[in-house]
Amino acid sequence: MATSFARALRLIEPGVCRQCATQPARRTFAAVQNPKREIRSRPATQTTTLSQQQVRAFSFIPKRGYKTVQEAKSRHKSGPFSWQAGLLFLLAGAGLTVYFRYEKARMARARIAEANKGIGRPLVGGPFHLTDHNGKEFTEQNLKGKYSLVYFGFTHCPDICPEELDKMAGMLDQVKEKHGEVLQPVFISCDPARDTPEVIRRYLAEFHPDLLGMTGTWQEVKDVCKAYRVYFSTPPDVKPGQDYLVDHSIYFYLMDPEGDFVEAIGRNFTVDAASKVINDHIADWRGKINKG
Amino acid sequence: MGLFGSSQPSPPQPEPSRDGGYVAPDRSARAVCWEGRDSFFKCLDRNSIIDSVKEDEKAKTVCAPELKKFEEACAASWVTYFKKRRVMEFQRDLTLKKLSAEGATPMDSSTAGGAGSATLSGK
Repeated sequence: MATSFARALRLIEPGVCRQCATQPARRTFAAVQNPKREIRSRPATQTTTLSQQQVRAFSFIPKRGYKTVQEAKSRHKSGPFSWQAGLLFLLAGAGLTVYFRYEKARMARARIAEANKGIGRPLVGGPFHLTDHNGKEFTEQNLKGKYSLVYFGFTHCPDICPEELDKMAGMLDQVKEKHGEVLQPVFISCDPARDTPEVIRRYLAEFHPDLLGMTGTWQEVKDVCKAYRVYFSTPPDVKPGQDYLVDHSIYFYLMDPEGDFVEAIGRNFTVDAASKVINDHIADWRGKINKG
Repeated sequence: MGLFGSSQPSPPQPEPSRDGGYVAPDRSARAVCWEGRDSFFKCLDRNSIIDSVKEDEKAKTVCAPELKKFEEACAASWVTYFKKRRVMEFQRDLTLKKLSAEGATPMDSSTAGGAGSATLSGK
């Protein structure tokens, strides 16, 4: 964009000189009519490369078709700078600024996504085996084809999980509005002793109909927490009906349609900020995505 | 202590689910619990008690009706958690105040240090 603009400017120069060579009489006429302007409009930097005559010619070629001297004069009062040129300059500048800002943000996101993929083995995520809230088997293969937003929690959570799940519901709506059905939200319980499929299904229904809950055996849950680098403190042997809390990390993990980790979204993000992060990553995706 | 000593307020027992789990409090139950917590904390504020675990006796004396409601509406683990969280939040605010008095400028939490702040908050 910038180079073509410069090229256009360069093309004007020889054109101008060709014109002045064919109209020697008019040039002198203009120079005589307006001797003061000649000095004012001479660009200092060009004097070394261009001859005196060329410089003079540059500012004072009247276009053919002026009916009066006054018209020609008024046309050239502003020299080579007209409001059209100014507008073009400003528009080009504004356009470039917007474009470069957009590119910069896109590159930053691509860098985050790329860095989080790691080399070889993924840093976050990987194989797991769980049971979803309908009692069906669910592995990392089921996450592929769509983006997924993974959240770890437990249903007996006093305040933070429900707040975060409400936020998650807001994000899901905003992503759906922009990109359609491209995001699979997943809730993985860190408390398999109390959170059975039925408990999770009833719990999640209060937040968003798209949320898919997961649970498993104590070992399966411990493994998936390890894969996602989630702190897991649930004791393996709890008595039935025992009252306890579970410590766990509180991130939303965004995974791409190939199952690679993209970015972690912390609690400090608002619904709008988090939705923007997710929507931008989805917009960047060039591979296959399942919209069904 | 005498008033409610004999009849320990018992929180709602978790309802067992058909497949062997325990049903969690739903949205309305959580709202009732949070309400109980808020009115108990307001009472603590009035009596300038921050740590109701350490100052258990005093809290039980001056805020008895509020505490009873709180303990009836929330599971025991939640009660303890909320009491501890109150202390933690008080200390956090105190530290922030101290820091800003020393001239520290807060970081933009939505971009910087996201990783650290999220892990610290627990639960």
